[in-house]
Amino acid sequence: MKKVLSFENVCSGYGRIRILDNLSFDVEEGEVLGVIGPNGSGKTTMLNTLAGLLRPFSGRIIYGGRDISRLPPYSRCRIGIGRTFQIPRPFTGMTVLENVLAASVHGGGMSRKEAAFFAEECLETVGLGDRKNESAAALTLLDCKKLEVARALGTRPKLLLLDEAAAGLTEAEVGEVMELVARLKKQKLTVIWIEHVLEAMENSTDRLMCMAQGRNVICGLPREVTASEIVEEIYLGGRE
Amino acid sequence: MDIGMKKNKGVIKLCVYTAIFLICLLSGFGGVLSNNLMRYLFKIFLYITLGEMWNLMSGFAGMTSLGQQAFIGLAGYSVAVMTTVYKLNFYFGIGVGAVVGVLGAALLAVLLLHIGGMYFSIATWVAAEALGTFFSGWKYVGQGAGMNITISPYPKMSELYILALILCAASLGVTYLLLRSDTGLGLTAMRDDISAAASLGVNIEKNKFIVYLTAAFFTSLAGAVFFINKGTIYPDSGFDISWTISMVFIVIIGGAGTMEGPVIGSVIYVLLYEYLAHFPGWSNIILGLISILVILFMPKGIAGFLRNFRK
Repeated sequence: MKKVLSFENVCSGYGRIRILDNLSFDVEEGEVLGVIGPNGSGKTTMLNTLAGLLRPFSGRIIYGGRDISRLPPYSRCRIGIGRTFQIPRPFTGMTVLENVLAASVHGGGMSRKEAAFFAEECLETVGLGDRKNESAAALTLLDCKKLEVARALGTRPKLLLLDEAAAGLTEAEVGEVMELVARLKKQKLTVIWIEHVLEAMENSTDRLMCMAQGRNVICGLPREVTASEIVEEIYLGGRE
Repeated sequence: MDIGMKKNKGVIKLCVYTAIFLICLLSGFGGVLSNNLMRYLFKIFLYITLGEMWNLMSGFAGMTSLGQQAFIGLAGYSVAVMTTVYKLNFYFGIGVGAVVGVLGAALLAVLLLHIGGMYFSIATWVAAEALGTFFSGWKYVGQGAGMNITISPYPKMSELYILALILCAASLGVTYLLLRSDTGLGLTAMRDDISAAASLGVNIEKNKFIVYLTAAFFTSLAGAVFFINKGTIYPDSGFDISWTISMVFIVIIGGAGTMEGPVIGSVIYVLLYEYLAHFPGWSNIILGLISILVILFMPKGIAGFLRNFRK
């Protein structure tokens, strides 16, 4: 399979505080890579560095054969990296449809007409089609998370970054998110999915990477990773 | 709401605004308004222009500038030099003022637009202060004593009133069109969440640049017209931070991030300011108190309060 993304010894963080410590991993085209790890292990920092909100201190991020480490966030979005936020960040002054429209026009580079059509399609995909004209400020947590995904899809991404799309949801709602990811996978989208809900991770991802202290501790088939001693020790051990 | 109904509503609104504009314009030509009333309206129109521009920057693009007086001063001095030194028509002076303002903004943008949040506010303020200090020492423009603006024949109040009205309408029109454009969609996204907007493909720097230059253009025009009415300019009046303070007041009480906010704010500001002129020393205290009360009880300003009330 073709490599879509590589982190090569990336160090990154906030101000002078280093969170990612020589992080390296690859993502292959069309796969769903799950990322787990305890709080503070650098999962969201990895996503922010990949999406361009943080610049790496050192190391390279190769996407589609090109070093994108210095590109600003909007350029990364326009070359196909779409992301969601862990804590939903809807544009509350807009309707649900306008939220996705903004993403399609700017990130997807579509005309208004094309964007309007495509945005509705994205909302249908995540199951928000019937709420498109409501204010984004009035959405429930689940719907906000769906809107995050719809907006990211609105930019017509090749690589989708999901940051805890299932966190804080009920079991049934987590099921809905898992179904959604399965649907996206069928559309040949490559996905990096950060999550704490292990069950969702084991069943919905192709590979699993466990991070600790800003490093890639282990990466492999989901069940192998969750069953490994090292993961049990640093991640599951705390729960027992 | 149905799209057809929305369109109809839009057409009705447009008709109402055009009618208001024409009535104001015709009453300026027809000599219906007293000089005093025209003076009030003149001020209101110019403050709406200033307020809309500051709102575009702070309310939408997240650029809380405290240095808009830089453009007012530059434009005021441009008019003074063009009319008094070169004896040129004052309309030409206004045009030069706008060009100087925009060029100044483009230069400042290179330095300032990378700076975020509070640092941007301080940097813009320092830039304006530096300009003021420079003009205080510049012999060509009369140093600290400043310049008189000599135009003969001096434009009548009605002419300035019409000029301010057209400027106000143009600034509102441009703001409206800008906000309805693709750039405006990005600006509204930036207003609500700048990091999310960036991650969804909105080119933050480009949008900031567009907004900064647009604001500089209209702020310069308004400043030039203001100083033609005043007839004199010196560094402490041209580069006075109270210009920006008035814009902040107008946007806060009117409602940031809305188009109608600065219109409401300007009317209140001008009326209050004129009335409070009878109580020297108290006016700033009272304006400050009103700002605090509005921030506490109507955080989205009067426009936001009215919107919620209607809902």
